[in-house]
Amino acid sequence: MSALEVLAASKIFNQGTTKQVDALVDVSLTVQPGEFVSLIGPSGCGKSTLLRLIANLLEPTTGSVSVNKKTAAQARLDRDYGMAFQQAGLFDWRTVSKNIELPLELKGWEKSRRETRAKEMLELVKLPEFADLYPWQLSGGMQQRIAIARALASHPPLLLMDEPFGALDEMTREYMQGELLRICGETSTTVVFVTHSIPEAVYLSNRVVVMSPRPGRITKVIEVGLGATRNEDTRAAEGFFKGITAVREALRGTHAEHAAANAVRGVEDR
Amino acid sequence: MLARRIAYRSSMFVVAIASVVALWELYKVVGPQDGGKLFGVSILPRANDTAMPHIWSMLSRYGRPEVRGSDTKIWSVVLSGAFFSLRLSLVGFFLGTTIGVGLAVLMSRFRVVQRGLLPYLVMSQTVPLIALAPLVVSWGGKLEIGSFVWPRWLSASILGTFLAFFPIAVGTLRGLASAPAAALELMESYAASWKQTLFKLKFPAAVPYMVPALKLGASGSVIGVVVAEISTGLKGGIGRLIIEYAREATGDPAKVFTAVFGAAALGITMSGLVALSDVVLMRNRPKESST
Ligand SMILES: Nc1ncnc2c1ncn2[C@@H]1O[C@H](COP(=O)(O)OP(=O)(O)OP(=O)(O)O)[C@@H](O)[C@H]1O
Ligand SMILES: [Mg+2]
Repeated sequence: MSALEVLAASKIFNQGTTKQVDALVDVSLTVQPGEFVSLIGPSGCGKSTLLRLIANLLEPTTGSVSVNKKTAAQARLDRDYGMAFQQAGLFDWRTVSKNIELPLELKGWEKSRRETRAKEMLELVKLPEFADLYPWQLSGGMQQRIAIARALASHPPLLLMDEPFGALDEMTREYMQGELLRICGETSTTVVFVTHSIPEAVYLSNRVVVMSPRPGRITKVIEVGLGATRNEDTRAAEGFFKGITAVREALRGTHAEHAAANAVRGVEDR
Repeated sequence: MLARRIAYRSSMFVVAIASVVALWELYKVVGPQDGGKLFGVSILPRANDTAMPHIWSMLSRYGRPEVRGSDTKIWSVVLSGAFFSLRLSLVGFFLGTTIGVGLAVLMSRFRVVQRGLLPYLVMSQTVPLIALAPLVVSWGGKLEIGSFVWPRWLSASILGTFLAFFPIAVGTLRGLASAPAAALELMESYAASWKQTLFKLKFPAAVPYMVPALKLGASGSVIGVVVAEISTGLKGGIGRLIIEYAREATGDPAKVFTAVFGAAALGITMSGLVALSDVVLMRNRPKESST
């Protein structure tokens, strides 16, 4: 059984007006349980839109999304999602551990159970001594780790991340990638991950989904054969470079196409 | 950290008071005794002792009886007047906060309400308080709900409410709308109910906007109450003392200032109460790097 199934989904904003945007056209994607899938593509190709469709924050114009054989709407009501964005988005007025407890409070968990889980999550992201500090007292990388802990606190079957490491420096970023793989491995979470970084996508993923804009669609899906365990050596492995080359070429294809489309439009405009 | 901020604020306060005193006395030295006139229009206030008594004669007036031959010193009369008005202001402030916050929640929930109501709220604040005061008193006098009889002082509180609710409603509304889109999306992805989003996200996010609004509301309620006391002649409060003492301004010029300072102290007390809530509510928020 697949963890996530997007079937011929399209999203058209402002349909029928002059501002119409074909953000996604005929997108299909199946993700297996425990799989890590990255979305990559030029800005505006609809990565965030696809993520929002999956999270039921947007309704598809046509097509359907199902999560564990449920509709996306039902999955959201069942709190099947964990979400993390580029900005950690922690609540300033809550301590670190209260931030992690937020999704559990919304689910109506009892206090003692919430606190136990928050403690576990803090162990998982290796920040147990920061439980009673406030988010603004932590570094950006620590905040992002707390945001991941919050996203995973209720053990959601599906984790959705939109450029979660985009604001971090290179060193922290690589460290966080390793941590994310470890955490998701330990909790066997299915992940859909949006990124702009080719090495990041290749390092993290079982599959990299390459998208192209205008209209937003999937142009290629690249299997990365890096095996289950990844470590610092992986970044020097041959499979890693092969993956990077493959994704880069796929992206270059979409880019060339994009440039050609613009050139044609340029001619028409004159 | 906190102690330093409080010390800084209070020293600024002392400096402000001292400079007002200095300016006042300086003007008494250099200002024209009978006021300055330009083409027959007086533009400078008179610096003589009747119009502008010395600060020390105002202060020493507190120690003397209210009326000649009486035992009650004026400080105790002013103090109890200020306390009376403080109670009315507190009632007005709490009603204003309840109404203001309630309206803000309604307006943030329903855009229709916001669009329909907000212009009227803005317009309501252009009605002159002096005109409204007697109306509220007479409406209140006609009101009878069961055994509830409208007390006269309540009308003064209501006018405080009238000035207090508006800044609170507007500030809270802005605050509720200040929750970042990403945070709202997060709550939505957790299928949080409207109430959960309100109490766990929107209200906490609104606090930095609500605190200054509450400060405005607090001083508004004081102004409303004092003006109502003056214009309806309600006995017992500081407003009434101000008009009574003002009548004696020629014979006893320092007297009216004792009541004016009482009103100022009342305003400062109200702001102080809100400032205290500021310190409590904002204690765990990110601090600006300044002092
Ligand atoms: N709410 C909206 N209303 C109208 N148009 C939208 C809306 N959201 C997104 N779009 C449009 O849909 C397209 C895809 O946007 P999306 O945010 O999904 O891109 P993206 O791939 O995430 O880009 P980036 O890499 O810059 O984050 C863009 O052209 C954008 O302008
Ligand atoms: Mg995006």
